[in-house]
Amino acid sequence: MASKPLFIMLASGEHEKIQLAAMIASVAAVSDRPVQVFVTMNAILAFRRGLTAEQRYHGGYFHEQFVTKNVPDAMELFEQGKMLGEMQMWACSLVLDLNHWDAEKDLVEGLFDGPAGLAKFLADAEEGELITL
Amino acid sequence: MAERQTVDARGAFCPGPLMELIAALKLASVGDEVEVLSSDKGSVNDIPAWVAKVGHQFVGSTELDGYWSVIVKKAK
Repeated sequence: MASKPLFIMLASGEHEKIQLAAMIASVAAVSDRPVQVFVTMNAILAFRRGLTAEQRYHGGYFHEQFVTKNVPDAMELFEQGKMLGEMQMWACSLVLDLNHWDAEKDLVEGLFDGPAGLAKFLADAEEGELITL
Repeated sequence: MAERQTVDARGAFCPGPLMELIAALKLASVGDEVEVLSSDKGSVNDIPAWVAKVGHQFVGSTELDGYWSVIVKKAK
């Protein structure tokens, strides 16, 4: 039986929560579970193209250890989840509009499937399990 | 003929060893084995659970000098 799809709403800009979202999304995707990730609010700032790890990640007790030890980078985990499993990522159209950002030009290359609205994401999420971070 | 390759993921934290195993399995042929060397204790439990979930074959794990050898056979 196919696994129930997993929907992750990532709103926090805290490194720990972004890391956890990336871990959950990538491991679920490679475990034959379809995953959709909706990135909104502060979290979108961490996905801006061209940032160093120091600029990209902030916050959480384990933040320093994530960046100084050999912990997989969150952006790379999302990328692996997309490459090795069934996973889609959506950027919240509200925060893109407020920041005058274009999903194709201003966000980490190759990660997002496009901008999306909350209503569509929530409607799709009724078919699966929703986690909010 | 089936082959075995070794992925040295020692020093990588969770879920690094699992992701490296999956990437190696993707390129392997059915019947091939992939051995993962991991210093991440969680991988010793995580990898067999993942293997059971997706339908590959867990061959076994061995504790060595401060790390583990986990062997998986590509079954599909």
